[in-house]
Amino acid sequence: METKKFMGFLPVNAISIKDLFAFEKSFVNLLAIAVTVVFLVMFVVGVGNYLLHGHHVFNVTREHPWGLLIATYVFFVVSSTGLCIVGSLGDVFKFEALNYQLFSKRAIFGSIVTILAGFAVIAFEIGHPVRMMIYNVVSPGLTSAIWWMGTLYGLYLTFMIIEFIFLLRHEMRRAQVFGFIGLAVGLAAHSNLGSVFGFLNARPISNGVYYPTYFILTAFITGIFIAFIMMGFRYKLDFPPEIKKMLTGLAKIQGFLLGAFLFFAGWKMLTDVYGGMPGRADVAVHIFHSWTFWAEIVLAILIPGLVILLGQAKSHVLMFYASLIGMVGVFFMRYNLVHDTQLKPLQMMKTTRYQLPPQWVEYVPSTTEILISLGGLGLAFVMYYIGTRLFDLDESVTEEAPER
Amino acid sequence: MARYGMALDYKNCINCKACEVACKEENGVLLGADKHRIWVGANAPSGEWPHLDIVSSTFMPSQCQHCEDAPCEEVCPTHATYYDENHVVRVNSDKCILCSYCMNACPYDARYVDDRTVTVDKCTFCSDTRLARGETTTACQNTCPTKVRTFGDLDDPESEISILLKTRDHFSLKSHLGTHPKLYYLT
Ligand code: SF4
Ligand code: SF4
Repeated sequence: METKKFMGFLPVNAISIKDLFAFEKSFVNLLAIAVTVVFLVMFVVGVGNYLLHGHHVFNVTREHPWGLLIATYVFFVVSSTGLCIVGSLGDVFKFEALNYQLFSKRAIFGSIVTILAGFAVIAFEIGHPVRMMIYNVVSPGLTSAIWWMGTLYGLYLTFMIIEFIFLLRHEMRRAQVFGFIGLAVGLAAHSNLGSVFGFLNARPISNGVYYPTYFILTAFITGIFIAFIMMGFRYKLDFPPEIKKMLTGLAKIQGFLLGAFLFFAGWKMLTDVYGGMPGRADVAVHIFHSWTFWAEIVLAILIPGLVILLGQAKSHVLMFYASLIGMVGVFFMRYNLVHDTQLKPLQMMKTTRYQLPPQWVEYVPSTTEILISLGGLGLAFVMYYIGTRLFDLDESVTEEAPER
Repeated sequence: MARYGMALDYKNCINCKACEVACKEENGVLLGADKHRIWVGANAPSGEWPHLDIVSSTFMPSQCQHCEDAPCEEVCPTHATYYDENHVVRVNSDKCILCSYCMNACPYDARYVDDRTVTVDKCTFCSDTRLARGETTTACQNTCPTKVRTFGDLDDPESEISILLKTRDHFSLKSHLGTHPKLYYLT
């Protein structure tokens, strides 16, 4: 009785654990399952290692206190904001011509899943997450960008969940209202995440308006990449016409955004290098010589950009693969953001005999950091998969579309 | 209530590191810990032998600058970092969540993670130890053989440090960042 009542309130599919394993045993599905299981095992091992040995199993140091886990957290929350933006196109802004509604529910669910995965990862980088929840409330540091970012993301998650419930219940008007508030709070939270870096006056390479704004732009780009990936899996790359139309629309927007981002990244680099500011110019030159910078540019901008350009936004299947590559590039983008901020040592004198003065701060993620980060990806996959089973994530327009 | 600061006659420093040892002993810094609380940096002489630039070779004792506009305090999400009644920048380890934001924000790399409390710590001007016992000097000042360090109340015009700062030229580190450090390097 109780379950019935709940299902009346929140339309979920009645499934059992057994149903979760009842999927078509195709090669791609099995591969996806295998990858997810491996990632989940990695998460457990990584977290276990952390619980046993504490922060010592991370390669973070005094000079480089933020490592891969922060980058992964940023990666997930950017994905979440991106999905929220893309989802809002249909659900909040009603861009009917392009039928984004076909994707809204899935996008909003994806945004919830990705931010939860992000929270799961950062819980192990923050030394005292429980203390954080207490003192964030009883002793708020209102001048701290981290405080605003964390608080706003908490609110954002709440609004996203409310919006998703209304979407499931087909209460479109309310979903729209909460979607709008959620989007506004999400954008605020996300640009605040940029300001966590942008406010640092100790780090000229990151200081300024660049990160708070580029975060919104790159979130939109990330959201569209994930839209392609989700739809690719949903329709097994055999897209029905209305989905094709939607994807073409998204690809065009993506082309524009990637162009804009190339300008952003290009001018940031040029002003950094030729602006000649000490602590910024030298760092920028150093970044220019790092392979991770080029991984970001090539994988996240050039390859997807070329695929869109050459396919005139119509090569949907190729765009699916380009989006997978793009997401790898986006990961490097996050890693670079975190690492590059900390490249320059703040204390450059020699403090120990027989040693050279510090030049650049080195950082290579430790095994445990890698395990937990990939584990976060596994968590996102599992939550998303369960969601696709539990909820009806497609709008009614697509009901005649082939089932997975 | 005082406004504590420190003047460093850094050209007198002989890099004996007695201050580092005294600080460890007084404040219970872990043995073997590198650059915890205070350290002495060395600028190697520049130039090629025999044209060495002797004046470029200096020793710079350093530590938390107890900034008056401290970036570390500004970025702390839980107010774990705060100004105490003597304008000393302190960390309340009960409130520190180890987000490490302050370590990233401090322009002087003055902060480290204490492995015992698993929170961030740094120089406190001996507030928990010597000052709490009613003494008026810090351990590093007390031990320095060449009297590099002068600690005292900047608000008291008669204090030794106030007189020094009025009579000797001085500079502070990275002053362009607007952090207003309360460590003054005498020239
Ligand atoms: S030197 Fe660093 S730790 Fe000390 S008060 Fe200034 S910003 Fe804070
Ligand atoms: S690490 Fe601790 S003291 Fe530093 S900003 Fe975070 S909560 Fe504040």
